[in-house]
Amino acid sequence: MSPFKVLSLLPLLLVLVMLVAFPIGQMIWMSFGNVRLTAGELIWDSAGLANYERMLGDETFRISLWNSLVFIFFTVVITVVLGIALALAADRLVRGQKLVQNVLLWPAIVAPVVISVAWLLILSPQVGLVNKILRSLGASPQSWLGDPFGAMASVVVIDVWHWTPIVFLLIYTALRSLDPSVLEAARIDGANYVATVRYIVLPLLTPAILGAVAIRVLMGVKVFDEMYLLTFGGPGTATTVISIYLRSVFFESFQYGFGSALSVTVVVLVLVALLVALAVRSLIRGVRRA
Amino acid sequence: MPDAIHRNHQGSWLVRILLTGAVVSTILPILWLLLIAFQRPRAIISPGWTFEFSLANFEEVFGPRQVYGAQVVNSVILVLVSTAITLVIAAFAAYSLSQLHWSRRTVASILGGAGLLQVIPPVTLVPGLFATLQTLGLNGTLSGLILLNTVFNLPFAVILIKFYFDTLPTELRESAAIDGASEFATFRRIMLPLAAPGIASVAIFTAIQVWNEFLFGLVFTTGGREAPITVGIATLIQPQEIKFGPMAAVGAVTAVPIIILAIVANRHIVAGLTRGAVKG
Repeated sequence: MSPFKVLSLLPLLLVLVMLVAFPIGQMIWMSFGNVRLTAGELIWDSAGLANYERMLGDETFRISLWNSLVFIFFTVVITVVLGIALALAADRLVRGQKLVQNVLLWPAIVAPVVISVAWLLILSPQVGLVNKILRSLGASPQSWLGDPFGAMASVVVIDVWHWTPIVFLLIYTALRSLDPSVLEAARIDGANYVATVRYIVLPLLTPAILGAVAIRVLMGVKVFDEMYLLTFGGPGTATTVISIYLRSVFFESFQYGFGSALSVTVVVLVLVALLVALAVRSLIRGVRRA
Repeated sequence: MPDAIHRNHQGSWLVRILLTGAVVSTILPILWLLLIAFQRPRAIISPGWTFEFSLANFEEVFGPRQVYGAQVVNSVILVLVSTAITLVIAAFAAYSLSQLHWSRRTVASILGGAGLLQVIPPVTLVPGLFATLQTLGLNGTLSGLILLNTVFNLPFAVILIKFYFDTLPTELRESAAIDGASEFATFRRIMLPLAAPGIASVAIFTAIQVWNEFLFGLVFTTGGREAPITVGIATLIQPQEIKFGPMAAVGAVTAVPIIILAIVANRHIVAGLTRGAVKG
């Protein structure tokens, strides 16, 4: 084995061990202990399974898991459906495809923090654009972010605005790379547009669509910035998703052991979901081949 | 590009309405942010529709006693250094994994380990990372943030650059070796330039990710002079009082460079986003 072969890979391995394997090990270790931060040092005392037992009875953790599920379900379904619709539409444009693609890239790359600020300026009861319009029309101003249902609906709408473009870009790129002769053949056979899309285009796009769904689900699991800035998880626990709850356990109540037990559980849940998804995929492939 | 299902114009008014709606609703919140940023402070809270141009918000946040200027500088340093380190480590590792005949199992387990980092929520690793940074003496420093940003962008960069190296024929490397070039020279002079377009996409994508990063900046700094600008924006949003004008001004400063980049380097960014997403 040549030295270059080893040396070229070494920095990556070093970083992965130091900042991935080690923190994960720490997380598991802490989840079995009472951990206090004293004079900048983490002090660990064994707690056995106490953190996990407490987790099972923790109401807020259950609520945060449920909130994350609700958030993921609605944002994934809406962004994927809208993204497909926009991609099919842009594909039919005679002019302006470049413009659409360019503008729709903006939300996907502007900082989530700035997106949150922009929407705060739209939804705020004092200075918000929506309330300015309502007031001009003679209606009374609303406080969406102050109402449990309104707050969840708002963060879903913002997430849809934010991430539909990424689904659009994924599907649109896949759509543009389809072999036109297949579609030409369908048209010669007399298939109309809707039938072509339903029976030929969508099946061909399935890998891209499933890829988009997977990415969106993972983004939904990780979501943090928008809730932190717009609702702070509230009102009450209405928009407390997993990441928001974990941050408050770590940095407001400083319960590193308990927080680590929650973290381990979240990571395990994500990995199990991922394995199930992969298993289902290979099962479906197997059935198709048989 | 062929017209795919495209030459069929039936129902095109629906197409135009849908896309015009998408473009307008995408631009509107960003435009409103810019308007508020340049709006005279007392006009912001007035219920009417007057617009009075003013630079007061910018003067307030970038005045001599404020931290936001320093935070913009921090973010720029963070982007330059993290992106550079990420690219160097990733280019070597991707080349090694792609071209230097590691066993399949080795490649799979390294990519798997890297991929693991892509799927778990970063906040779960915060206590472990805190302990790690504490050991290294980097808690609360810009160097600590550079390290974290590098690590969390490496998996994507390695996977994507490897994908570009995979498209190069192995014979290229072998013939260079026969000509007597050293392994490093082969990498540096022959293979790396060929992967340059791919690496450029990764560079832009990584830089955007680092510029936008918020969570680590929030929990690993105290939000003052050593924090990145995304954290600075958050300090303007307090439960008791939201400083709308300054918040919009800092938001505009953070967003406008990225939007200009989107217009100028559109193709590179789309390539990075879509390929990376599908392969990762």
